[in-house]
Amino acid sequence: MNQKRRNGSRVIAALLLFSIAQISLQVGLAEPNNTTNSTTIPQQLVGRLTTRNNQPITVNGLSANTGASILSGATIETGADQSATVTVGPLGSVYISRNTKLVLTFDEQGNLKALIINGCATVTAKKKATGEIATEQGSVKKTEPAAGGVLKVCFPETAGTPTNGQTAGHGGPFGLGTVATVLIFSAYGAEILVPFIIFQRNPSHSAP
Amino acid sequence: MATPSCLRARGGHGVPPLQLMQVALRILGILLCLFFIQAAARFGLSRMFTRYALITNSIPAADEAVRISPSDPEAHRARAMVFISQQMPAEAVNSFETATRLRYRDDYLWIELGNTREDFGDTEGALAALDEAVRWAPYYAHTHWQRGNLLLRMGRSGDAFAELRKAAAANPAYTPNLIDLAWGISRGDLKTTEALLENNDDAHRLALFRFLFAAKAFTEAYEVSHPSDRLEPSLLNGGFEEPLVFNDAGFGWIIAPEQKNHLAIDISEKLNGAKSLQISLDGNWTPGTALLSQTFIVKPGKTYRVSFGVKTKDLVTGGPPLLTVIDATNDQLLAKSANFPTGTTPWARLSMEFTTLPASQAAVIRLQRSNCNSSPCPIFGTLWLDEFSIEQTQTVKN
Repeated sequence: MNQKRRNGSRVIAALLLFSIAQISLQVGLAEPNNTTNSTTIPQQLVGRLTTRNNQPITVNGLSANTGASILSGATIETGADQSATVTVGPLGSVYISRNTKLVLTFDEQGNLKALIINGCATVTAKKKATGEIATEQGSVKKTEPAAGGVLKVCFPETAGTPTNGQTAGHGGPFGLGTVATVLIFSAYGAEILVPFIIFQRNPSHSAP
Repeated sequence: MATPSCLRARGGHGVPPLQLMQVALRILGILLCLFFIQAAARFGLSRMFTRYALITNSIPAADEAVRISPSDPEAHRARAMVFISQQMPAEAVNSFETATRLRYRDDYLWIELGNTREDFGDTEGALAALDEAVRWAPYYAHTHWQRGNLLLRMGRSGDAFAELRKAAAANPAYTPNLIDLAWGISRGDLKTTEALLENNDDAHRLALFRFLFAAKAFTEAYEVSHPSDRLEPSLLNGGFEEPLVFNDAGFGWIIAPEQKNHLAIDISEKLNGAKSLQISLDGNWTPGTALLSQTFIVKPGKTYRVSFGVKTKDLVTGGPPLLTVIDATNDQLLAKSANFPTGTTPWARLSMEFTTLPASQAAVIRLQRSNCNSSPCPIFGTLWLDEFSIEQTQTVKN
């Protein structure tokens, strides 16, 4: 009887062990895949593109929009009604005017260089960075790391001048233009007068 | 019927209650209409200020738009855009935050907030905003694309590419951009690029191949298209035994689209095998343009011999055809064959030798014409080509 009991205990223990092993195996198999790619990539500077009015421009021959990452060596091209800025965190930024093609390079040593193939560019270099604008004929302008600075170059020189994408004012109190200002104020006046005429009440607040 | 006390008070000549109710309803309707007219006027005026603020980058106009319609997220968004144009990111962030509070399901607003926060140097805040963008538009590509790009700039490349792959899966139009980023961030290392892309189907591999070929990374392109082959120079379908595929790019034969009607596989004429390529010329073929070409892998600084068979029938021209070999990267001429025989000639074997450049990865063999002494310079007749082969002859010693 004792022998039988002992054998029974052994069988139960073996079954228990087997079951635990099965559960462990299942849990092991059910472990979710590591979604993070284990590929090691050396840390490098990555620029960020901002395009005017969020219009797409061309980077390495592909369409790119605001928020796109720009890697060193990228060829950036703007069209007739496009302009863009590439911000390279610790180094500075490069403003690319319309109808411009350039190759942008930068590195961890603080170099930020725009090689203009045609068009206009403005390089704004922070302190401790070296900003440079070059053309196929060689380096045109360079900043000193101690001071930083702003460089503006057009190549060929007849290509125009960088505009920084800001529209000049058109006159009027808000710079809206005379006609637009008159229209706005007429509409605004009507908006104030309508309730005044209808309800015979003062549109101003009773208390300041 | 009992008369209401209020009507009785007027001496029994009061207005019936139904009529009174109708008058009341009309007054209420008019009041409602006036209210809506006023609300619409305010809204319209605000939008007008919004538009002008955006056109002229005017902060006072944007402020006015917000004052007139403070609960309109579009007014706050426009104000933020104006602040951005005036290089005032902190104020822009505030306006975007107000806009997102008013229209929190708008993924584009969250993206704009994220971009502006990043401009302001707040990358964690930007990530939080883009998290919201993904939350409200999880099946759209642009939200994943923006978040992936931000993660890449934050140095979290593994997470970044997981997100960027989601974007490309949702919208394949992002695939070339994804490959471009992977190729750039891996500094031209194919293994790392493939690991980042996690290419697992033919469509992805084809996209990668096309990208590499266009980027003139011919060695890597060949590795992708012929993973099991050794990297040895060879001309594909050199005997024209397989059907011609009209590729626009790749390592096979490429035929100029306007000339494809002049080319045919001929089973009656051949130098070897069962077929050859027949080219029927009816006059038009601009000298210098390639009618047929193939890009093939080479090793740098090596000498190769290209051999082929040619046969002609009634070939009449002042600028006979010939074959050239140019470097695929910089188009430098490496070799030129003898002019093809004119008139009617039997199969003949021609060959030419060329030495690749120190940095050559691939070369292009092109069927073109010699320059003519006069213009126009028509070409008539038929020619057959067969048995293209390439072999390395010797190594150039420095």
